[in-house]
This record gives sequence, structure tokens and C-alpha cells, in this order.
Amino acid sequence: MVGKNCFAIASDRRLGVQLQTIATDFQRVFKIHDKLYIGLSGLATDAQTLYQRLVFRHKLYQLREERDMKPETFASLVSAMLYERRFGPYFCQPVIAGLGENDEPFICTMDCIGAKELAKDFVVSGTSSESLYGACESMYKPNMEPEELFETVSQALMASVDRDCLAGWGGHVFIVTPTEVQERVVKGRMD
Amino acid sequence: MAMKVDMSALETNFSIPCLDDGDGMHFSADSPDVPSMVLPTCADFDGFQAATKDMVKNKRGTTTLAFIFDKGVIVAADSRASMGGYISSQTVRKIIEINPYMLGTMAGGAADCQFWHRNLGNKCRLHELSNKRRISIAGASKLLANILYSYRGMGLSIGTMIAGFDEKGPGLYYVDSEGARLVGNRFSVGSGSLYAYGILDEGYRFNMSVEEAAELARRAIYGATFRDAASGGCVSVYHVGPDGWKKLSGDDVGELHYHYYPVQKTSVEQEMTDAPSTSA
Repeated sequence: MVGKNCFAIASDRRLGVQLQTIATDFQRVFKIHDKLYIGLSGLATDAQTLYQRLVFRHKLYQLREERDMKPETFASLVSAMLYERRFGPYFCQPVIAGLGENDEPFICTMDCIGAKELAKDFVVSGTSSESLYGACESMYKPNMEPEELFETVSQALMASVDRDCLAGWGGHVFIVTPTEVQERVVKGRMD
Repeated sequence: MAMKVDMSALETNFSIPCLDDGDGMHFSADSPDVPSMVLPTCADFDGFQAATKDMVKNKRGTTTLAFIFDKGVIVAADSRASMGGYISSQTVRKIIEINPYMLGTMAGGAADCQFWHRNLGNKCRLHELSNKRRISIAGASKLLANILYSYRGMGLSIGTMIAGFDEKGPGLYYVDSEGARLVGNRFSVGSGSLYAYGILDEGYRFNMSVEEAAELARRAIYGATFRDAASGGCVSVYHVGPDGWKKLSGDDVGELHYHYYPVQKTSVEQEMTDAPSTSA
């Protein structure tokens, strides 16, 4: 979700196999560089592999270009990598959030074969995506300060996963501003 | 003069040809308590039933348990209703009060369980009135099992436990929509039952106080709600003693987790320090 010169990216913490919960501390939001984060919902193994491949590509880019990737470029990279596997896809829906030029927040989401969807306010993915769309739509206001953004994102996330059997068991929220990153674990219903 | 025991209330008459008066249910004057259900007329009855079963999508997403101990029966259940992945309610009453000394649990299709438990309550009351004595738990569970057996294969989804206290002492029966009727001391039903069994079997003793038994049941249901995605909401615990049932507690599972596992304060990993100010 986009705020005033900042953004928030959040996920739940459940790792499960259909109805059985395996872990309640699974990390799904990953850092690419200080001002670029990617969240990967869907198959856990594909999320981890895709993250490792993206970090590898970004590190190569850093060596060649001697700077960090811009979020827009990174989104194109992810889209291309996903489409490379058009006929045997990664079962992941990424959510990309970063601060671009002049620390302008940039967010986008994709389906599992790389269709980019840019947005100015918020993007969602996962099993509770319909609930999340509803919750974000009603709670979002433009130009929120980091503290208010954190509250909004946490409330939207918790409200949505409480209506989903397959998501929840706590929340993990990152608030990224040009000067700092706040990482918080949110207490949620553990059922 | 020998009194013949009046069994008419216990009969189930499903072979009555029913005239459909437009609302699908026909109550005949001979046995006013027995609804005879209209069966659909179609070419492929079995195929139709299979398709209906798929459409309704009952998946027994729940956790219920009951066990007998020296002071009666403890019955406990969660309160989540799920439709596939969507949680439709977190406040479902899954322990159905059939009469003041008998409880039934709900697992499977909510509508099925509610209707047939209510129907069972009717039959039990009629038995009491005709025979001037309460029906036994064995008798009540047999009534229900017979009804469910006659609807076998038609897509009813019920996994229930009938628990109560009668002249023979505490009684516990597991009855399901496939027609099974099992007597036992400990049962757990639903998608979270395996997790609940793990905790229940470990902590079970026949001689326990009512509080200890209630805590065991609460802990077992909590464990199941933690691991099973289709169970959650609140834990309700009931105790059935010689004087009837009593609801002991209803705790929200979200709060119960932090009660059992309070959040530990972690040491601060990185102190925020002020940036050194530039000297003038």
C-alpha cells in the first residue's frame, strides 16, 4: 500500500499443506535492496526459489551497473522471468513495492505468468485476495504518514485473513521510508 | 392387564407414498411427527445425488470431541463454519441441546445436523410422553442411526456424537451419515480430530475433577484449531452430569493462544542511537 513518500508491504505468516498448518513463522516478504521489497504468495517452494533467482539477477546488475535496480526495471525483470516459464509456470503471485526516483513509491502485482498490474493505491495477492481488496478499498486514504499507514495495513490484513481458513496465524509488516525500514510482527488470531 | 409398550413414536415411515402439495414436505395424519421427504424423479437418480453431493461440498471442517470420565461426560467443540476456503462464521453453535440431559455435536453439513438433531429431540419427547420415562442414550442414538441409514448414499453429511446421562450412567455414542453407530469412551470428530486426539489421549484419565476434564477438552480443541485451518473461533465446553448438562465455558481461541503462550519480550536487537550532530 502506498503512503506519503513511503510504502508498506505485509504478509501473513502461515505455511500450510491444504488444511494442515506446518509453520507459523514463514517469511514471504523479501528484501531486494534497501528500497525494494517483493512479496510472493502461492507455492512456498516457488516463492523461495524465485526470490533466490531474483537476488542473483539483482546482484549481477549491481556489479555491472554499480547501482541498485529501479523498481520499474525490477518489475519488468520479474515479469520476463515469469513469462519465460509460460508453459510450466512458477505458482507464485508476486507483489512488488519500492521507492523509485525522488523516492516516489511504486507498487505493482502480477499473476503467475507475469501480467503486470500497476496501481497507485494498493495491490493484493493470495488466497484472501478478494477480502483484501474489500478491506483495502474501504480503509485506504491517500497520503498517509508511516504510522497511520502501518495501522491501516495491519487492520486490513488482519481483518481479511480472519475470514480465510488458509491464511493468518500472525502478520509481518514492513514500512519503508526514504530513511528507514520498520519491520513489525503483528499478533493475530492463531486459528 | 398387561400394558403393551407403545412403539409408534419410534417407527419411521419412509415408505409412505407422499403427495406433493407444492412445498416438498407432506405430513401425513397417521404419524404427524414424521416428515416424509419428496424424492426427485429423474432418469439417473444416483448420478443426480452424486452431483448434489459435490455441489453442497460438505467437508466436515470442524473439531468436536467428547469423553466419559468418572463424573459424567465432557463435550467440547470449536465454532467455525467454512465454505471451502472462506470462513462463513466464527460463532456457530456446534453443540446442540437435544433435551436437558442429552447433547449432540455437529460436524459435517450444518443444516443436516441441525434438522436431524431437532427431529431426534421431537422423537425423544414423544417417547417420554408415551412411555412415562426418559429414553436411554442407547435408544436415542439408535433412532438417529436408523434414520441416517435409510438416507445412506443420498448426500447427507453428519458426524455426530450423542452424549448424555441416563439410568445406566453416562452414555456416549458416535453416529454418522454412513449409518455407523459406535459406543465408546472417547471420540473426536471432524477435520481437526486427529490433532485433538493427540492431546486428548495423552492427558486422559478416568478419575479427574470436572475442572481438569474441562481443561483437557479445552486444550485439545485449542490444539486442533491451531493446526487445522478449518477449525477455529471459540471453544465451548459442556459437562453432562446426573442432573443434566451445564455449559462450563466458551473461550475465544485467539485469546486462548496468548493465554497459553504469552508473548515473550525479546531483547532489543538494535538500539536507535542519535546520529552524531555536526559541530558548528
